[in-house]
Amino acid sequence: MARGQSALRGKYAIVGVGETDYSRNSGRTTRAMAAEAINNALDDSGIDIANTSFGITSYSGNDATGSAAVMSDLGIRLDYEVDTMGGGSSTETLIGLSMGVIEAGLCDAMVIHRTMNGYTGRRIGGTPIGASGPPPFATNHGDHNLHSGIYGVGSALQSFSLAFVRHMYEFGTTPEQLAHVKMVHSKHASNNPKAYYKERVTVEDVLNSRYVVEPFHLLDCCVETDNATAIIVTSIERARDLRQPVTAILGTGGRAHKAAVDYAWGHAPITHQGGIHTRDIVFSNAGVGHEDIDVTGAYDAFTFTTLMQLEAYGFCEIGEGGDYVSSGAIELGGRRPNNTSGGHLCEAYTHGMNMVIENVRQLRGTVDDYCSDWKAGVHIYDYSERRCRQVRDAQVTMNLGWAQPATSSALIMTNQL
Amino acid sequence: MAEYLGAQVIVPPNDPAHREYLEEAAHGRLSVQRCGNCRHLRYPVRTACPECRSFEYEWQPLTGKGTVYSYYVVPHPINPAFREVVPYVVALIELDEARDTPQPGRALRVVANIVREDGQSENADRVAIGQRVDVTFVHLGDGWALPQFRLSDESPEHETWQIPTRGPAPA
Repeated sequence: MARGQSALRGKYAIVGVGETDYSRNSGRTTRAMAAEAINNALDDSGIDIANTSFGITSYSGNDATGSAAVMSDLGIRLDYEVDTMGGGSSTETLIGLSMGVIEAGLCDAMVIHRTMNGYTGRRIGGTPIGASGPPPFATNHGDHNLHSGIYGVGSALQSFSLAFVRHMYEFGTTPEQLAHVKMVHSKHASNNPKAYYKERVTVEDVLNSRYVVEPFHLLDCCVETDNATAIIVTSIERARDLRQPVTAILGTGGRAHKAAVDYAWGHAPITHQGGIHTRDIVFSNAGVGHEDIDVTGAYDAFTFTTLMQLEAYGFCEIGEGGDYVSSGAIELGGRRPNNTSGGHLCEAYTHGMNMVIENVRQLRGTVDDYCSDWKAGVHIYDYSERRCRQVRDAQVTMNLGWAQPATSSALIMTNQL
Repeated sequence: MAEYLGAQVIVPPNDPAHREYLEEAAHGRLSVQRCGNCRHLRYPVRTACPECRSFEYEWQPLTGKGTVYSYYVVPHPINPAFREVVPYVVALIELDEARDTPQPGRALRVVANIVREDGQSENADRVAIGQRVDVTFVHLGDGWALPQFRLSDESPEHETWQIPTRGPAPA
């Protein structure tokens, strides 16, 4: 049993969420987008900016504007600031960090943000814009460049695929089963006006799309988009006086790793996602179990990242993920819907932020779907195309943040405190 | 200047272990670090021994034989260096030495490409999990070489399995 922040269970809340448009042509700097997303989150919270001591944190792959400049644009003086290197799974990690920062008395409220021109600027795993030829293979370009990059293992999919092909071999998981993840998330996105891809796709559509890394198809991969996203954390006491219904944080687990995480292939079983370690931390901190979780946000950089995490966290047995994701359980109206916004596969690629934002809105009951009065929390619970995506009576949500096959973070929230 | 697929290969002078690894390969040896204290074999190149934290090591040549543990095919290059090479096969190779050492499930598993005798990418239809492979070396210049793997004449280690898009359709 991990020691952790169980002492902080229910003491902190997410009080504001905001984002820019999800596009492939922002036409703006990461700085301009970050300012808009943070401003939207501040407005969403109704927090008294003049009488609040703020801290901020962000993560990037050296492709974003630093937090201090962005907050200076908004005229907000900072009492705490730390920008980190990171990516997928940093969202949940930095929410946990933010709780600790406030608990330590360093500020009253923390802003967590991520800004990226993920399509028109630096594309994940791609060559930097403006590069004229192939970059060198060099040990100072990543510790294991000579043990992976030089073999053509550079992009996220190229790095992750060895683990999931082994999963297919050991457990008989099929491309058809994987395609269900995209099919389901596209249904969810069809009820999300801000999703980049709103069209529903079928399992056949996925299987008929071209290979990016064979046996994985283009539609097994997430979208690349330009966007910024922001989340505001403060104490539960402050949250009760703010604009939105209270979304309390029950527990987090941050970037727990499997052994030898930088090259985890030497430690079998490589088919087990790093969430096998995070789950003990997050569930014990939160004081709830699987049966209590109504909605999940299992990171879908690729169809199989959702599947591997649902297995690792125990929503199904390891090896049974193929059956689970094709059973209807993860769909709106099913036992435990996953990524109700459409996630990274359909809504936008934000390095995990949009999946936490979606779960906050689910817990508030004010998901921005096509119901005419969604702002007032009035939903029709008809999940057919261009209708509703609010989960009825969602009380506890869980985010499962993927960094890579051997690393995961998690966050459990509730509206019941 | 050392080069691979038209791109420069750079290992700075302050990184002797990686330089020695490539020099071993240029001498026709797939060598891994053996801890000078507890004799644990490790891959990839590491600063210290993850078992005992000793910083002392020697190079241990291996047989270069192993078995395909997982693999995939890349039809779509990301790094422009690979534009002329696609489709290429990336494999995770479990080497014969140090299996289940120091604990069950541990092994020396190496990412590399499966190539033909002429150094070009192997036909993906011929590759499968369970196939035996042998190391081969691609010379980079400057006294360095890169280990790669070729399909072996040996019988497969166990019943072979191909990714669902290759080989015979399932019954």
